[in-house]
Amino acid sequence: MKPRIAAIGICAALLVLSLCGGLTAAEKAVLLKNGQVITVSGGPIPGGDILVQGTKIVKVGKGLSAPPGAEVIDLGGRWVMPGIIDSHSHIALEGDVNETGALLTPEVDCKDVINPQDINIFYALTGGVTAVHTMHGSANPIGGKGISLKMRWGKGPEELVFAGAPLTSKWALGENPKRSNMSGMGPSRYPRTRMGVEESIRDEFEKAREYMKKWAEYEKTAKAARDSKGKVPTPLPPKKDYRLEGITDILNGKLWVRCHGYQSEEMLSIMRLCKEYGVKLVCFEHGLESYRITNELVEYGVAVSTFADFWGYKWEAYNTMPQAAALCAKRGVLVALSSDDAERMRHLFNDAAKTVRFGGVTEDAAVRMLTINPAKIMGVDRWVGTIEPGKDADLAVFNRHPLDPFTVCEMTMVDGKVYFDRAKYLEERKKAEEEEKKKEPEKKDGGEV
Amino acid sequence: MKRLAVILASIILATAPLLSSQAERARLFIKNATIVPVVGERIEGGGILIESGKIKAVGKALQAPADAAVIDAAGMFVYPGFIDSYSHFGLAEISSISSTTDFREMGKENPELRVVWAINPHSVHFGTGRVTGTTSALVAPAGGTFPGISALVKMDGWTVPEMVIKEAATSFINFPMTPRPVGEGLAVQKEAKEDLTSKLVEKIRDYLKEARRYLELKKLAAADQSVKAPEYNAKYEALEPVLDGTLPVIISVEKAKDIELAIKFVQDEKLKAIFRGCAQGFKVADKIKQSGIPVIIDSLYTGPSEPEDGYDAPYRNVVELARAGVLISFSSGDSPAHGKDLPYHAAKAVAFGLSPEEAIKALTINPAKMFGVADRMGSIEVGKDADLLIAAGDPLDLKTEVKQLVINGRAIDMANWWEALYQKFKSRPEK
Repeated sequence: MKPRIAAIGICAALLVLSLCGGLTAAEKAVLLKNGQVITVSGGPIPGGDILVQGTKIVKVGKGLSAPPGAEVIDLGGRWVMPGIIDSHSHIALEGDVNETGALLTPEVDCKDVINPQDINIFYALTGGVTAVHTMHGSANPIGGKGISLKMRWGKGPEELVFAGAPLTSKWALGENPKRSNMSGMGPSRYPRTRMGVEESIRDEFEKAREYMKKWAEYEKTAKAARDSKGKVPTPLPPKKDYRLEGITDILNGKLWVRCHGYQSEEMLSIMRLCKEYGVKLVCFEHGLESYRITNELVEYGVAVSTFADFWGYKWEAYNTMPQAAALCAKRGVLVALSSDDAERMRHLFNDAAKTVRFGGVTEDAAVRMLTINPAKIMGVDRWVGTIEPGKDADLAVFNRHPLDPFTVCEMTMVDGKVYFDRAKYLEERKKAEEEEKKKEPEKKDGGEV
Repeated sequence: MKRLAVILASIILATAPLLSSQAERARLFIKNATIVPVVGERIEGGGILIESGKIKAVGKALQAPADAAVIDAAGMFVYPGFIDSYSHFGLAEISSISSTTDFREMGKENPELRVVWAINPHSVHFGTGRVTGTTSALVAPAGGTFPGISALVKMDGWTVPEMVIKEAATSFINFPMTPRPVGEGLAVQKEAKEDLTSKLVEKIRDYLKEARRYLELKKLAAADQSVKAPEYNAKYEALEPVLDGTLPVIISVEKAKDIELAIKFVQDEKLKAIFRGCAQGFKVADKIKQSGIPVIIDSLYTGPSEPEDGYDAPYRNVVELARAGVLISFSSGDSPAHGKDLPYHAAKAVAFGLSPEEAIKALTINPAKMFGVADRMGSIEVGKDADLLIAAGDPLDLKTEVKQLVINGRAIDMANWWEALYQKFKSRPEK
């Protein structure tokens, strides 16, 4: 690969971007006409239209007319669904996201390392993905904070942030915090067992409670000092501890807990722990054995963000089946299909089809696992996850039904703006390749220095 | 659905006595099927008669013999069983636990190692891997420059010998990979001048040269007592069928430049080669076609080799190779846990422009040709092994259920790890 070709490739990609960017001005209306609209909020609308104004969907129905000056995109009978939401991702982050050196690291924050140039943002769009929840790694029983992003490819780090989305705390149980499969990756450390994993969380909660008490006492005496107008001496504040501050945010319910776990009983133990300390446990990540404890998950009201069929790569991922997601969903667990992987992310719609095959959920239920369910888990269902008026215009267009085996994502829109258009992409690529061909003879004539 | 359940039940009922009586009668009849033979025209409402593990007759007007077990495949589709062109079935149970993996030996040069006796015929992955229609697989070693010798096996059998089609199916060479250029200007130029890849290829050539010298000397010594025979070398011995072109060698290669190097290497060394991977094959598809070397496509759960190749390069690659006329086949890749995805890789390529017919060929007759077994596998033809899949719909569709597999003429037990878990936990009472 010559650097020049690389440069041309990048230029082509940028050109596509800029062209796409030119499609919709901020407040311009766009009418998507004649699509098979998979609304998720209601039934499908064959031959349906979606009117977008600025960043929002304003009307959904049949035979909508384009307001003056609106851009019209003819979907020509293609399928359009709410943008796919990947509730467990590690893309768009700079470097490693595991803090293996320390046991508990609630003080670190993915927000500080957003990498808007990660090509995986673009790949996400090519698979119809419009939003992700990107997270800290799983080496720590309590890891760093995660953040929800919109796939606004080409924008700066702050502009990728999904405004209003709750901040999250990544927890992890089992083999990863135990470092079971990491021999040769640094010295071993406590914990090495599931016993230790649970206890390390509990210990820190107790420390944080002490810490909170100290601060509460300080605030109290400080107030008394202020009120006494100098009669009572002003106290010294306790030492700031950012780690315990993070735990405090968890105990105060400021952070939504997303807990990586595989085995059923470790999930049960954490549910009990979270109930005891009043922690907002929202979702188990992966949860490959969650199909065994559906009663308990439903009763607690905790969701599962899982794989369609990724399994067998370690012991705790062995006792599962591709029917797991469907079985959980049928029994009332809120289930999202997620990728945990930049590559699998762009196959999520295929994953949904697999869940129809294995375990037999309806196509509608499978599509929900890609859209409104992850939106609920991420706390962004007010804005995304369905196609209905008032919601963000985050849409994915497919040439066939998204669960069809031969479907291709052809266009992806975020906030009413087209960020990926396969037809344009192919056109630009063809042009770039022809340009390159033209240049080749020059090279042979000694063009290379 | 109810009807399918009835059919399935009848298959199970039919299967049980069939297995016990097979020694005497060994006849199975599939009726009312839509038959897609791959070689030859599709037959609607056809029958297949199976005897002694082979296909005895195929056609529309066939009647079930009185002594045959019968599968009623009304509304269903019968295809030749799929062949997975590269897998570690039976060699890896849980990839992160080394005591359960047996595909990667120490060292770089192990051309003499055979996977065949390391295969666990009762690995759960045979059961789960075949739920989408795979009836045979190439079981491959991995790692180093010469990983060893693969076996071609059926996906069912009580013991390894019962499964084996070819104990020694192919040898392997992992071709060196040209690294992606790093840095700008001078740094890149320097790296280009160094051409580490060619140096590494020279090393492989030297190794083969040594093997040739050894074999030559051995031959001389056998003919002439005054010539001292070389000390026995298992590695060079194992390369003999590779060097004389009787044992195919699978060469893993990714970048366009390396593919060109590999073609030259194969031609110079006069090897019977099959390429595996060829992620940038679309850039040199015509050259691959000219060389006559077939290509095993790796898992399509993969990104482009380089971002400049385009986001869809893995799928486009398959389409372009097929368009150029290269003989291609699909494989499930490195993880036997994901063996069931074999037809999904094919479906992904179809989504991006491969014809469904080509895709089915690349799962059946094409790999049979590559591995030299097209005379007994890869299509529904009289005289071939009765390896069949019976599906409720298009087997490339992720939503289609494969109802029954026939392997060596036997309607096999479709029970598997997933189904066992599902049945158990489905029965837990709901609150």
